Amino acid sequence: MIHLFCALPCEAEPLIQHFKLSAIKEFDLFRIYQSKDKEISLTTTGIGKLNTAAAVCFQHACLKTSASDIWLNIGVAGHANLALGEARLVNKITDEHDNATWYPQIIFNSPCKSTHLITLDKPSTDYQDALYDMEASAFYQMAIRLGTAELIHCLKIISDNTAQNTATVNADKVKKMISAQVQTIEKLIDCLKPLSAEIHSITCKPAHYQHFIEEWHFTKSESIQLSRLLRQWALRLPDEDVMQLVTNNKSGKAVLKTLRSTINNSEFIIHD
Amino acid sequence: MISTIYIEEEIANHPRTLAILKRFPDATKISCQRYGEIFNRKSQNFRLQKKQPALILAKKHKGLALPTPKQYAIGAEYNYYFSHMLNCLYDCRYCFLQGMFQSAHYILFVNYEDFTEEMTSILNQHNNEPVHFFSGYDCDSLALDPVTGFTSAFLPFFESNPQALLELRTKSTQIRSLLKREPIKNCVIAFSFTPDKIARTLEHKAPDINKRLQSILDLQEAGWQIGLRFDPLIYTKDFAIEYSELFKKIFSKINPQLTHSISLGAFRLPKDYFRKLEKLYPDDILFSSPLAEEDNNIGYPSEIRNDMLEFCTNIITQHIPAEKFFPCHETV
Ligand code: SF4
Repeated sequence: MIHLFCALPCEAEPLIQHFKLSAIKEFDLFRIYQSKDKEISLTTTGIGKLNTAAAVCFQHACLKTSASDIWLNIGVAGHANLALGEARLVNKITDEHDNATWYPQIIFNSPCKSTHLITLDKPSTDYQDALYDMEASAFYQMAIRLGTAELIHCLKIISDNTAQNTATVNADKVKKMISAQVQTIEKLIDCLKPLSAEIHSITCKPAHYQHFIEEWHFTKSESIQLSRLLRQWALRLPDEDVMQLVTNNKSGKAVLKTLRSTINNSEFIIHD
Repeated sequence: MISTIYIEEEIANHPRTLAILKRFPDATKISCQRYGEIFNRKSQNFRLQKKQPALILAKKHKGLALPTPKQYAIGAEYNYYFSHMLNCLYDCRYCFLQGMFQSAHYILFVNYEDFTEEMTSILNQHNNEPVHFFSGYDCDSLALDPVTGFTSAFLPFFESNPQALLELRTKSTQIRSLLKREPIKNCVIAFSFTPDKIARTLEHKAPDINKRLQSILDLQEAGWQIGLRFDPLIYTKDFAIEYSELFKKIFSKINPQLTHSISLGAFRLPKDYFRKLEKLYPDDILFSSPLAEEDNNIGYPSEIRNDMLEFCTNIITQHIPAEKFFPCHETV
């Protein structure tokens, strides 16, 4: 799943339209939108760190997120001298309040340049050579507790700078700026999808696992052993029918014993 | 090759930092206070980071050279290891670094001068008795040598301290800087090998064994001493055939006079590391090997381990004198 977070409705609107998202009615603490196939969701968090952290947790609780999910904070930000409308991925986040710092891991060929971002408690026009926002540190700090660091990113679009400060920004302009960068957001998602798929492949249960769990009783530690043995089975005895082998076993323990002894008695060849 | 470089503020103006940054004009440069802010963070995924590791330029403050466990010695009473780098360009599936570190980024400690100062003090402590210094525990010693300038910075130190011996542990063919200079007696370039098919399966991104062997021949021809490291030995059904072929290939070509030492050890990992690797690569065949747990380590059961060690020992000792052979007597 892909989770998008925007502070303002005007930041969210172009994305809701582009990804064809609809509001999920049963959640009312924050507005959550979702695509029909449930692959993309978007939450409007409201302004500020507290709102953002709460929204990330809420999303996690409501949609049951997993380690392979992609988390993106998308919105506008100020910068001293970057041109309005330009997009930047964030490679370093500093919380101005306590100077805590995080480093989002850009391990792909980014669709746009990346830069440093400072999250403020209050709006400011005291621009420096960094992006300014009021949410990213809280978003990132919370999201890395729930997901995989390499899949969590902030993408910001410049809405104000020294020449054109926040007074010139309005909802309409923000919508246009975000709309103009939808392709960049799409490309970023395309970069992250294979990484997400790789995490999914190593965290998902092996073939037949669900069937075994439904058929026999396994304690927590036995289910970990089962998972390991089924993976070993697939690697060492790919042409053998595992279901047939254990069909007469009466308990989970007996199943594990059968699997283990059959695997141990098979030849081990490490290469083709 | 490297698209992101993190730079600790403290060494931002170190001449080595500046020289390295010059080599990567297009890389994104990000400043940080201490490398741990990036390297030690939880929730990172080593496997994903391995796709595009960043370089972190940092300063090593303490533990610049640490005592080495006795079983890894190659003939000296006093043994230390040091790591100018953490992590490796290559991606061997059995590598313990994947279990030890949260991150796959390369850390380069640029303050080489502090390492050599520490080595001087160690040599003084041992009253100029022979001391061996091992490089390549936490990285491949040579793989990034053209970038790090490691050998050209450290070899002069060893040249002027003949009571010290430097082991460079490697699978790399980056030997240009060694071939460019006169060999020194107290440096051993130790190459690790597994049989060809096993290397192809497990030693991702590392030079193939023929290229490693060619590097050995080039180095010996230039007068350098080399070492052979058959550690880890990897089990497969036909290990005897595969290791015989490997030994035949190597021993038919190398110069035994310039072979300093050979060591041997079976695949084993601390249990925590093993479990972490298994989670990162659950579908890798290595982790479905016949393995057993013993004393908080995971490795081959004693019958397999002893068979392999005995078999290899018999062949190796036909080719070199016993005093050059160092089997690692670690149990699983
Ligand atoms: S060459 Fe050595 S350090 Fe590098 S990945 Fe392989 S085992 Fe690890």
